[in-house]
Amino acid sequence: MDARTIIQSLTGAFSEAISEAEVESPVRIRAYVDGSFAKEVCQYLKDSLQFDHLCSVCGVDYPKRNELEVVYHIASYDHPVVLTLKARLPRDSPEIESIVPVYWNANWYERETYELYGIMFKNHPNLKPLVLPEEMLGEWPLRKDYEGFPNRTARNLV
Amino acid sequence: MEEMLGSNEMIVHLGPQHPMQPGPFRLNLRLKGETVMDAEVELGFIHKGIEKILENKTYLQGITIVDRICYLVALTNEECFVGCVEKLAGIEVPERAQYIRVIVEELSRLQSHLLGMGEYGEFIGFVSMFMYTIKEREDILTLIDMVTGARVTHTFLKFGGVRDDLPEGFKEKALPVLNNLKRVIDDYEEMFNTDRIYRERAEGVGILTADVAKSLGVSGPALRATGVPFDIRKNEPYLVYKDLDFKVCTDTAGDCAARVRVRLNEMRESIYIIEQCLDRIPGGPIFPVNSPYGRRTPVMRVPAGEVFHRVEDPRGEMGMYMVSDGTDKPHRVKVRGPYFPTLQALPPLIKGTTVADVAAISGSMDGCTSEADR
Repeated sequence: MDARTIIQSLTGAFSEAISEAEVESPVRIRAYVDGSFAKEVCQYLKDSLQFDHLCSVCGVDYPKRNELEVVYHIASYDHPVVLTLKARLPRDSPEIESIVPVYWNANWYERETYELYGIMFKNHPNLKPLVLPEEMLGEWPLRKDYEGFPNRTARNLV
Repeated sequence: MEEMLGSNEMIVHLGPQHPMQPGPFRLNLRLKGETVMDAEVELGFIHKGIEKILENKTYLQGITIVDRICYLVALTNEECFVGCVEKLAGIEVPERAQYIRVIVEELSRLQSHLLGMGEYGEFIGFVSMFMYTIKEREDILTLIDMVTGARVTHTFLKFGGVRDDLPEGFKEKALPVLNNLKRVIDDYEEMFNTDRIYRERAEGVGILTADVAKSLGVSGPALRATGVPFDIRKNEPYLVYKDLDFKVCTDTAGDCAARVRVRLNEMRESIYIIEQCLDRIPGGPIFPVNSPYGRRTPVMRVPAGEVFHRVEDPRGEMGMYMVSDGTDKPHRVKVRGPYFPTLQALPPLIKGTTVADVAAISGSMDGCTSEADR
Protein backbone atom coordinates (compact mmCIF):
# COMPACT_ATOMS: atom_id res chain seq x y z
CA MET A 1 0.00 0.00 0.00
CA ASP A 2 1.58 3.28 -1.01
CA ALA A 3 1.35 6.69 0.56
CA ARG A 4 -0.85 8.33 -2.09
CA THR A 5 -3.55 5.62 -1.96
CA ILE A 6 -3.68 5.93 1.80
CA ILE A 7 -4.13 9.70 1.66
CA GLN A 8 -6.87 9.43 -0.95
CA SER A 9 -8.71 6.79 1.01
CA LEU A 10 -8.41 8.78 4.23
CA THR A 11 -9.50 12.14 2.81
CA GLY A 12 -12.29 10.42 0.90
CA ALA A 13 -13.72 8.82 4.02
CA PHE A 14 -13.29 11.84 6.30
CA SER A 15 -13.38 14.87 4.02
CA GLU A 16 -14.35 17.22 6.87
CA ALA A 17 -12.19 15.86 9.68
CA ILE A 18 -8.88 15.53 7.79
CA SER A 19 -7.05 18.64 6.64
CA GLU A 20 -3.62 19.60 5.31
CA ALA A 21 -2.86 16.02 4.34
CA GLU A 22 0.47 15.74 2.55
CA VAL A 23 2.94 13.11 1.44
CA GLU A 24 6.32 13.91 2.92
CA SER A 25 8.20 10.94 1.45
CA PRO A 26 7.12 7.49 0.18
CA VAL A 27 7.04 6.20 3.76
CA ARG A 28 5.83 9.26 5.66
CA ILE A 29 2.42 10.96 5.60
CA ARG A 30 1.29 13.94 7.63
CA ALA A 31 -2.24 15.11 8.31
CA TYR A 32 -4.24 17.19 10.75
CA VAL A 33 -7.36 15.71 12.27
CA ASP A 34 -10.27 17.40 13.97
CA GLY A 35 -9.93 16.42 17.64
CA SER A 36 -13.52 15.23 17.97
CA PHE A 37 -13.03 12.67 15.16
CA ALA A 38 -9.66 11.28 16.32
CA LYS A 39 -11.08 8.00 17.57
CA GLU A 40 -13.20 7.35 14.46
CA VAL A 41 -10.26 8.10 12.17
CA CYS A 42 -8.02 5.73 14.13
CA GLN A 43 -10.68 3.02 13.96
CA TYR A 44 -10.91 3.47 10.18
CA LEU A 45 -7.11 3.38 9.83
CA LYS A 46 -6.91 0.18 11.81
CA ASP A 47 -9.79 -1.61 10.11
CA SER A 48 -9.39 -0.53 6.49
CA LEU A 49 -5.80 0.61 5.92
CA GLN A 50 -3.76 -1.97 7.88
CA PHE A 51 -2.46 0.62 10.35
CA ASP A 52 -2.33 -1.87 13.21
CA HIS A 53 0.68 -0.54 15.11
CA LEU A 54 0.61 2.60 17.24
CA CYS A 55 4.17 3.89 17.53
CA SER A 56 3.54 6.66 20.00
CA VAL A 57 1.27 9.40 21.25
CA CYS A 58 2.87 12.62 22.36
CA GLY A 59 2.14 16.27 22.93
CA VAL A 60 3.86 19.34 21.52
CA ASP A 61 3.46 22.82 22.96
CA TYR A 62 3.17 25.87 20.67
CA PRO A 63 2.84 28.85 23.04
CA LYS A 64 3.01 31.41 20.20
CA ARG A 65 -0.11 29.97 18.57
CA ASN A 66 -1.63 29.34 22.01
CA GLU A 67 -2.14 25.74 21.02
CA LEU A 68 -1.20 22.26 22.11
CA GLU A 69 -0.90 19.49 19.59
CA VAL A 70 -1.47 15.81 20.19
CA VAL A 71 0.63 13.82 17.73
CA TYR A 72 -0.15 10.20 16.91
CA HIS A 73 2.41 8.14 15.01
CA ILE A 74 0.59 5.24 13.50
CA ALA A 75 2.44 2.55 11.55
CA SER A 76 1.82 -0.94 10.34
CA TYR A 77 3.42 -4.32 10.80
CA ASP A 78 2.89 -5.00 7.08
CA HIS A 79 3.83 -1.86 5.15
CA PRO A 80 6.49 0.74 5.99
CA VAL A 81 4.29 3.86 5.80
CA VAL A 82 4.07 5.89 9.02
CA LEU A 83 1.22 8.34 9.42
CA THR A 84 1.76 11.39 11.62
CA LEU A 85 -1.70 12.41 12.70
CA LYS A 86 -1.98 15.68 14.60
CA ALA A 87 -4.83 17.31 16.45
CA ARG A 88 -4.84 20.97 17.49
CA LEU A 89 -6.20 21.73 20.94
CA PRO A 90 -6.67 25.05 22.78
CA ARG A 91 -4.02 25.60 25.40
CA ASP A 92 -6.35 26.53 28.28
CA SER A 93 -8.69 23.52 28.14
CA PRO A 94 -7.16 20.74 26.07
CA GLU A 95 -9.48 17.75 25.77
CA ILE A 96 -9.58 14.90 23.30
CA GLU A 97 -11.23 11.50 23.05
CA SER A 98 -9.01 8.63 24.20
CA ILE A 99 -8.02 6.07 21.54
CA VAL A 100 -7.40 3.24 24.01
CA PRO A 101 -10.49 1.30 22.72
CA VAL A 102 -8.79 1.22 19.30
CA TYR A 103 -5.12 0.81 20.18
CA TRP A 104 -4.60 -0.96 23.49
CA ASN A 105 -1.04 0.35 23.96
CA ALA A 106 -2.16 3.99 23.79
CA ASN A 107 -2.94 3.64 27.49
CA TRP A 108 0.48 4.53 28.89
CA TYR A 109 1.28 7.04 26.14
CA GLU A 110 -1.88 8.98 26.97
CA ARG A 111 -1.19 8.85 30.68
CA GLU A 112 2.28 10.23 30.00
CA THR A 113 0.98 12.98 27.74
CA TYR A 114 -1.62 13.87 30.37
CA GLU A 115 0.87 14.30 33.20
CA LEU A 116 3.45 16.16 31.11
CA TYR A 117 1.11 18.49 29.17
CA GLY A 118 -2.20 18.45 31.02
CA ILE A 119 -4.14 17.16 28.04
CA MET A 120 -7.30 15.41 29.24
CA PHE A 121 -8.11 12.17 27.45
CA LYS A 122 -11.84 11.62 27.75
CA ASN A 123 -13.04 8.09 28.56
CA HIS A 124 -9.52 6.88 29.34
CA PRO A 125 -9.78 3.78 31.58
CA ASN A 126 -7.15 4.87 34.11
CA LEU A 127 -5.99 8.46 33.67
CA LYS A 128 -3.43 9.02 36.42
CA PRO A 129 0.27 9.97 36.46
CA LEU A 130 2.69 7.37 35.12
CA VAL A 131 6.27 8.53 35.61
CA LEU A 132 5.82 11.64 37.76
CA PRO A 133 4.92 11.71 41.45
CA GLU A 134 1.37 12.76 42.39
CA GLU A 135 2.70 16.05 43.79
CA MET A 136 3.81 17.14 40.34
CA LEU A 137 0.28 16.93 38.92
CA GLY A 138 -0.78 20.34 37.64
CA GLU A 139 2.77 21.50 36.96
CA TRP A 140 2.66 20.21 33.33
CA PRO A 141 6.47 20.16 33.12
CA LEU A 142 6.88 19.76 29.36
CA ARG A 143 4.95 22.92 28.54
CA LYS A 144 7.24 25.70 27.45
CA ASP A 145 6.21 28.09 30.24
CA TYR A 146 7.11 25.63 32.99
CA GLU A 147 9.64 27.39 35.18
CA GLY A 148 10.66 24.51 37.39
CA PHE A 149 13.48 23.25 35.23
CA PRO A 150 16.15 22.88 36.46
CA ASN A 151 15.72 24.55 39.85
CA ARG A 152 12.58 22.90 41.13
CA THR A 153 12.74 19.17 41.12
CA ALA A 154 10.42 16.57 42.56
CA ARG A 155 12.48 16.50 45.75
CA ASN A 156 11.85 20.15 46.53
CA LEU A 157 8.14 19.67 46.03
CA VAL A 158 7.62 16.76 48.41
CA MET B 1 -6.00 -2.71 43.63
CA GLU B 2 -6.70 -3.16 47.36
CA GLU B 3 -10.45 -2.67 46.87
CA MET B 4 -10.63 -5.65 44.56
CA LEU B 5 -8.95 -7.96 47.04
CA GLY B 6 -11.01 -11.17 47.41
CA SER B 7 -10.83 -13.78 50.14
CA ASN B 8 -7.60 -15.79 50.29
CA GLU B 9 -5.91 -13.16 48.16
CA MET B 10 -2.97 -10.93 48.93
CA ILE B 11 -0.90 -8.27 47.30
CA VAL B 12 2.84 -8.75 46.86
CA HIS B 13 5.07 -5.93 45.68
CA LEU B 14 8.01 -6.96 43.55
CA GLY B 15 10.41 -4.07 43.53
CA PRO B 16 11.28 -1.22 43.07
CA GLN B 17 14.51 -3.06 43.88
CA HIS B 18 14.43 -6.74 43.13
CA PRO B 19 17.03 -9.17 41.73
CA MET B 20 14.77 -10.11 38.82
CA GLN B 21 14.53 -6.56 37.52
CA PRO B 22 16.66 -4.88 34.90
CA GLY B 23 16.06 -1.53 36.62
CA PRO B 24 13.79 -0.05 39.23
CA PHE B 25 10.06 -0.46 38.65
CA ARG B 26 7.38 -1.80 40.95
CA LEU B 27 5.24 -4.75 40.08
CA ASN B 28 2.14 -5.09 42.25
CA LEU B 29 0.81 -8.63 42.07
CA ARG B 30 -2.58 -9.74 43.36
CA LEU B 31 -2.05 -13.36 44.29
CA LYS B 32 -4.35 -16.24 45.10
CA GLY B 33 -2.02 -18.84 46.47
CA GLU B 34 0.73 -19.06 43.88
CA THR B 35 -1.34 -17.77 40.98
CA VAL B 36 -1.17 -14.19 39.72
CA MET B 37 -4.74 -12.88 39.49
CA ASP B 38 -3.86 -9.34 38.50
CA ALA B 39 -0.76 -7.24 38.01
CA GLU B 40 0.07 -3.58 37.79
CA VAL B 41 3.31 -1.82 36.88
CA GLU B 42 4.41 1.40 38.57
CA LEU B 43 7.06 3.45 36.79
CA GLY B 44 8.95 6.62 37.51
CA PHE B 45 11.69 5.53 39.88
CA ILE B 46 14.39 6.40 37.35
CA HIS B 47 12.63 9.18 35.44
CA LYS B 48 15.28 11.61 34.25
CA GLY B 49 13.24 14.02 32.14
CA ILE B 50 15.42 13.36 29.10
CA GLU B 51 12.86 14.92 26.73
CA LYS B 52 12.85 18.18 28.68
CA ILE B 53 16.64 18.20 28.97
CA LEU B 54 16.98 17.74 25.19
CA GLU B 55 14.83 20.82 24.63
CA ASN B 56 17.28 22.84 26.70
CA LYS B 57 20.51 21.61 25.10
CA THR B 58 21.97 22.37 21.70
CA TYR B 59 21.88 19.61 19.09
CA LEU B 60 25.53 18.76 19.65
CA GLN B 61 25.07 18.49 23.42
CA GLY B 62 21.98 16.37 22.80
CA ILE B 63 24.10 13.49 21.51
CA THR B 64 25.61 13.00 24.96
CA ILE B 65 22.15 13.08 26.54
CA VAL B 66 20.57 10.41 24.31
CA ASP B 67 23.48 8.12 25.25
CA ARG B 68 22.08 8.10 28.76
CA ILE B 69 18.60 6.92 27.79
CA CYS B 70 19.92 3.40 28.03
CA TYR B 71 23.64 2.80 28.26
CA LEU B 72 23.41 -0.67 26.70
CA VAL B 73 22.15 0.60 23.37
CA ALA B 74 23.79 4.03 23.40
CA LEU B 75 24.91 3.72 19.78
CA THR B 76 21.45 3.01 18.36
CA ASN B 77 20.01 5.86 20.42
CA GLU B 78 22.63 8.13 18.90
CA GLU B 79 21.86 6.78 15.44
CA CYS B 80 18.20 7.68 15.89
CA PHE B 81 18.90 11.20 17.18
CA VAL B 82 21.60 11.94 14.61
CA GLY B 83 19.42 10.46 11.86
CA CYS B 84 16.61 12.87 12.76
CA VAL B 85 18.90 15.89 12.45
CA GLU B 86 20.44 14.58 9.22
CA LYS B 87 16.97 14.20 7.70
CA LEU B 88 15.96 17.70 8.82
CA ALA B 89 19.13 19.39 7.62
CA GLY B 90 19.52 17.22 4.52
CA ILE B 91 23.02 16.01 5.35
CA GLU B 92 24.38 13.13 3.26
CA VAL B 93 26.54 10.67 5.18
CA PRO B 94 29.67 9.46 3.32
CA GLU B 95 29.66 5.75 2.59
CA ARG B 96 32.64 4.92 4.75
CA ALA B 97 31.02 6.56 7.75
CA GLN B 98 27.84 4.57 7.12
CA TYR B 99 29.79 1.32 7.15
CA ILE B 100 31.58 2.28 10.37
CA ARG B 101 28.24 3.08 11.95
CA VAL B 102 26.81 -0.29 10.94
CA ILE B 103 29.86 -2.06 12.38
CA VAL B 104 29.69 -0.37 15.78
CA GLU B 105 25.90 -0.66 15.98
CA GLU B 106 25.96 -4.37 15.22
CA LEU B 107 28.73 -4.83 17.80
CA SER B 108 26.49 -2.99 20.24
CA ARG B 109 23.62 -5.35 19.34
CA LEU B 110 25.89 -8.32 20.08
CA GLN B 111 26.87 -7.07 23.52
CA SER B 112 23.29 -6.12 24.38
CA HIS B 113 21.98 -9.58 23.45
CA LEU B 114 24.82 -11.25 25.37
CA LEU B 115 24.04 -9.31 28.52
CA GLY B 116 20.30 -9.87 28.04
CA MET B 117 20.77 -13.62 27.80
CA GLY B 118 23.08 -13.68 30.79
CA GLU B 119 20.58 -11.75 32.88
CA TYR B 120 17.81 -14.05 31.77
CA GLY B 121 19.83 -17.04 32.94
CA GLU B 122 20.34 -15.35 36.27
CA PHE B 123 16.63 -14.60 36.69
CA ILE B 124 15.64 -18.24 36.26
CA GLY B 125 18.33 -19.46 38.63
CA PHE B 126 20.97 -20.40 36.05
CA VAL B 127 23.60 -18.05 37.44
CA SER B 128 26.54 -19.58 35.56
CA MET B 129 24.97 -18.34 32.30
CA PHE B 130 25.77 -14.78 33.34
CA MET B 131 29.41 -15.74 33.91
CA TYR B 132 29.66 -17.23 30.42
CA THR B 133 28.07 -14.36 28.53
CA ILE B 134 29.73 -11.54 30.45
CA LYS B 135 33.12 -12.94 29.45
CA GLU B 136 32.29 -12.85 25.75
CA ARG B 137 30.65 -9.44 26.13
CA GLU B 138 33.92 -8.09 27.50
CA ASP B 139 35.68 -9.00 24.24
CA ILE B 140 33.02 -7.19 22.22
CA LEU B 141 33.25 -4.15 24.49
CA THR B 142 37.01 -4.10 23.92
CA LEU B 143 36.38 -3.91 20.17
CA ILE B 144 33.86 -1.06 20.62
CA ASP B 145 36.34 0.63 22.95
CA MET B 146 39.02 0.43 20.23
CA VAL B 147 36.81 2.35 17.80
CA THR B 148 34.89 4.77 20.01
CA GLY B 149 37.20 5.18 22.98
CA ALA B 150 34.53 4.30 25.53
CA ARG B 151 32.87 1.16 26.78
CA VAL B 152 29.29 2.27 27.33
CA THR B 153 28.47 5.93 26.62
CA HIS B 154 30.29 6.68 23.41
CA THR B 155 29.18 10.02 21.88
CA PHE B 156 30.70 8.58 18.73
CA LEU B 157 28.27 9.65 16.01
CA LYS B 158 28.34 13.15 14.57
CA PHE B 159 25.87 14.90 12.30
CA GLY B 160 26.97 13.64 8.91
CA GLY B 161 29.53 11.07 9.96
CA VAL B 162 31.45 9.59 12.82
CA ARG B 163 34.02 11.05 15.19
CA ASP B 164 36.94 8.79 14.39
CA ASP B 165 38.00 6.32 11.74
CA LEU B 166 38.52 2.62 12.43
CA PRO B 167 41.91 2.12 14.14
CA GLU B 168 44.83 0.35 12.47
CA GLY B 169 44.51 -3.41 12.53
CA PHE B 170 40.87 -3.40 13.60
CA LYS B 171 39.86 -6.11 11.16
CA GLU B 172 42.67 -8.42 12.28
CA LYS B 173 41.64 -7.97 15.91
CA ALA B 174 37.91 -8.27 15.25
CA LEU B 175 37.81 -11.46 13.20
CA PRO B 176 39.24 -13.82 15.89
CA VAL B 177 36.77 -12.39 18.44
CA LEU B 178 33.85 -12.92 16.06
CA ASN B 179 34.97 -16.44 15.18
CA ASN B 180 35.23 -17.29 18.85
CA LEU B 181 31.76 -15.83 19.43
CA LYS B 182 30.32 -18.02 16.67
CA ARG B 183 31.67 -21.10 18.42
CA VAL B 184 30.35 -19.91 21.76
CA ILE B 185 26.87 -19.27 20.34
CA ASP B 186 26.78 -22.89 19.16
CA ASP B 187 27.74 -23.95 22.69
CA TYR B 188 24.95 -21.84 24.20
CA GLU B 189 22.47 -23.33 21.79
CA GLU B 190 23.50 -26.86 22.67
CA MET B 191 23.34 -26.00 26.35
CA PHE B 192 19.82 -24.61 26.01
CA ASN B 193 18.67 -27.58 23.96
CA THR B 194 19.99 -30.21 26.33
CA ASP B 195 19.56 -28.68 29.78
CA ARG B 196 16.38 -30.21 31.19
CA ILE B 197 15.90 -27.66 33.97
CA TYR B 198 16.32 -24.73 31.61
CA ARG B 199 13.81 -26.20 29.19
CA GLU B 200 11.25 -26.75 31.90
CA ARG B 201 11.65 -23.15 33.05
CA ALA B 202 11.50 -21.62 29.57
CA GLU B 203 9.49 -23.75 27.16
CA GLY B 204 5.78 -23.10 27.07
CA VAL B 205 6.12 -20.23 29.55
CA GLY B 206 4.82 -16.75 28.75
CA ILE B 207 3.41 -17.62 25.34
CA LEU B 208 2.59 -14.66 23.11
CA THR B 209 0.70 -15.26 19.89
CA ALA B 210 1.23 -13.06 16.85
CA ASP B 211 -2.21 -11.40 17.08
CA VAL B 212 -1.90 -10.64 20.78
CA ALA B 213 1.66 -9.34 20.39
CA LYS B 214 0.54 -7.02 17.58
CA SER B 215 -2.40 -5.70 19.54
CA LEU B 216 -0.16 -5.06 22.55
CA GLY B 217 2.24 -3.05 20.37
CA VAL B 218 5.27 -5.24 21.09
CA SER B 219 8.29 -5.10 18.75
CA GLY B 220 11.76 -6.56 18.51
CA PRO B 221 12.78 -10.14 19.43
CA ALA B 222 9.63 -10.61 21.53
CA LEU B 223 7.49 -9.98 18.43
CA ARG B 224 9.73 -11.89 16.02
CA ALA B 225 9.56 -14.93 18.31
CA THR B 226 5.85 -15.09 17.45
CA GLY B 227 6.58 -15.34 13.72
CA VAL B 228 6.09 -11.72 12.59
CA PRO B 229 9.10 -10.66 10.47
CA PHE B 230 9.04 -7.02 11.59
CA ASP B 231 12.50 -5.46 11.49
CA ILE B 232 13.11 -1.78 10.73
CA ARG B 233 16.43 -2.69 9.08
CA LYS B 234 14.41 -4.54 6.40
CA ASN B 235 11.08 -2.65 6.40
CA GLU B 236 12.56 0.81 6.24
CA PRO B 237 16.31 0.49 5.61
CA TYR B 238 18.60 3.19 6.94
CA LEU B 239 22.38 3.48 6.47
CA VAL B 240 23.69 0.74 4.14
CA TYR B 241 21.45 -2.05 5.40
CA LYS B 242 19.72 -2.34 2.02
CA ASP B 243 23.03 -3.40 0.41
CA LEU B 244 23.85 -5.95 3.08
CA ASP B 245 22.73 -9.53 3.11
CA PHE B 246 21.02 -10.69 6.27
CA LYS B 247 17.79 -12.34 7.21
CA VAL B 248 15.18 -11.46 9.78
CA CYS B 249 15.20 -14.19 12.43
CA THR B 250 11.81 -15.46 13.48
CA ASP B 251 10.45 -18.32 15.52
CA THR B 252 6.98 -19.73 15.88
CA ALA B 253 6.64 -20.82 19.50
CA GLY B 254 6.36 -17.34 21.05
CA ASP B 255 7.51 -18.50 24.50
CA CYS B 256 10.53 -17.52 26.59
CA ALA B 257 12.75 -20.15 24.94
CA ALA B 258 11.78 -18.84 21.48
CA ARG B 259 12.80 -15.31 22.44
CA VAL B 260 16.22 -16.58 23.51
CA ARG B 261 16.52 -18.60 20.27
CA VAL B 262 15.69 -15.51 18.21
CA ARG B 263 18.41 -13.55 20.03
CA LEU B 264 20.95 -16.32 19.41
CA ASN B 265 20.15 -16.37 15.69
CA GLU B 266 20.22 -12.57 15.53
CA MET B 267 23.70 -12.62 16.98
CA ARG B 268 24.78 -14.95 14.16
CA GLU B 269 23.28 -12.53 11.63
CA SER B 270 25.01 -9.57 13.29
CA ILE B 271 28.36 -11.34 13.03
CA TYR B 272 27.66 -12.02 9.37
CA ILE B 273 26.78 -8.34 8.79
CA ILE B 274 29.99 -7.17 10.50
CA GLU B 275 32.07 -9.57 8.38
CA GLN B 276 30.48 -8.25 5.20
CA CYS B 277 31.11 -4.66 6.29
CA LEU B 278 34.75 -5.36 7.13
CA ASP B 279 35.23 -6.88 3.68
CA ARG B 280 33.41 -4.22 1.71
CA ILE B 281 34.16 -1.00 3.59
CA PRO B 282 35.30 1.60 1.05
CA GLY B 283 37.90 4.31 1.54
CA GLY B 284 37.08 7.97 1.59
CA PRO B 285 36.10 10.65 4.08
CA ILE B 286 34.30 9.88 7.36
CA PHE B 287 32.68 13.30 7.39
CA PRO B 288 31.04 15.28 4.53
CA VAL B 289 33.65 17.48 2.91
CA ASN B 290 31.53 20.50 2.05
CA SER B 291 29.05 20.36 4.90
CA PRO B 292 27.82 23.66 6.37
CA TYR B 293 27.93 21.89 9.72
CA GLY B 294 31.62 21.42 10.41
CA ARG B 295 32.95 18.72 12.63
CA ARG B 296 33.41 21.06 15.53
CA THR B 297 30.74 23.68 14.91
CA PRO B 298 29.51 24.49 18.40
CA VAL B 299 26.37 26.31 17.22
CA MET B 300 24.41 24.69 14.44
CA ARG B 301 20.98 25.88 13.40
CA VAL B 302 18.75 23.21 11.94
CA PRO B 303 16.06 24.24 9.43
CA ALA B 304 12.53 24.34 10.80
CA GLY B 305 10.50 21.22 10.25
CA GLU B 306 9.59 17.92 11.82
CA VAL B 307 10.66 14.36 11.29
CA PHE B 308 9.97 10.90 12.67
CA HIS B 309 12.92 8.56 12.30
CA ARG B 310 13.00 4.88 13.25
CA VAL B 311 15.91 2.52 13.79
CA GLU B 312 16.12 -1.09 14.94
CA ASP B 313 17.26 -1.23 18.52
CA PRO B 314 18.43 -4.59 19.99
CA ARG B 315 15.07 -4.56 21.80
CA GLY B 316 12.85 -3.46 18.94
CA GLU B 317 11.65 -0.34 17.26
CA MET B 318 13.31 2.87 18.43
CA GLY B 319 11.80 6.07 17.08
CA MET B 320 12.29 9.75 17.67
CA TYR B 321 9.97 12.56 16.70
CA MET B 322 11.85 15.83 16.40
CA VAL B 323 10.33 19.26 15.86
CA SER B 324 12.78 22.02 14.95
CA ASP B 325 11.90 25.72 14.94
CA GLY B 326 15.06 26.89 13.21
CA THR B 327 17.07 27.69 16.33
CA ASP B 328 20.06 25.85 17.75
CA LYS B 329 17.93 23.77 20.11
CA PRO B 330 15.17 21.31 19.23
CA HIS B 331 11.63 22.49 19.97
CA ARG B 332 10.51 19.01 20.94
CA VAL B 333 12.04 15.55 20.94
CA LYS B 334 9.77 12.60 21.66
CA VAL B 335 11.65 9.39 22.39
CA ARG B 336 9.66 6.30 21.52
CA GLY B 337 11.63 3.52 23.14
CA PRO B 338 11.01 -0.15 22.36
CA TYR B 339 10.82 -1.32 25.97
CA PHE B 340 8.02 1.07 26.98
CA PRO B 341 5.26 -0.87 25.14
CA THR B 342 6.88 -4.21 26.02
CA LEU B 343 6.78 -3.36 29.72
CA GLN B 344 3.19 -2.24 29.31
CA ALA B 345 2.39 -5.67 27.89
CA LEU B 346 3.82 -7.42 30.95
CA PRO B 347 0.66 -7.42 33.16
CA PRO B 348 -1.61 -9.17 30.62
CA LEU B 349 1.19 -11.63 29.91
CA ILE B 350 1.78 -12.71 33.51
CA LYS B 351 -1.89 -12.89 34.45
CA GLY B 352 -2.76 -16.50 35.32
CA THR B 353 0.85 -17.67 35.69
CA THR B 354 2.64 -18.51 38.93
CA VAL B 355 4.95 -16.18 40.85
CA ALA B 356 8.00 -18.22 39.87
CA ASP B 357 7.28 -17.65 36.18
CA VAL B 358 6.97 -13.88 36.59
CA ALA B 359 10.74 -13.56 36.79
CA ALA B 360 11.21 -15.84 33.80
CA ILE B 361 8.73 -13.94 31.59
CA SER B 362 9.91 -10.50 32.65
CA GLY B 363 13.54 -11.49 32.16
CA SER B 364 12.99 -12.99 28.72
CA MET B 365 11.85 -9.55 27.48
CA ASP B 366 15.42 -8.24 28.04
CA GLY B 367 14.26 -5.00 29.56
CA CYS B 368 15.75 -1.64 30.36
CA THR B 369 13.63 0.40 32.75
CA SER B 370 15.87 3.40 32.27
CA GLU B 371 14.67 3.63 28.69
CA ALA B 372 11.00 3.11 29.58
CA ASP B 373 11.16 5.95 32.11
CA ARG B 374 13.54 8.23 30.21
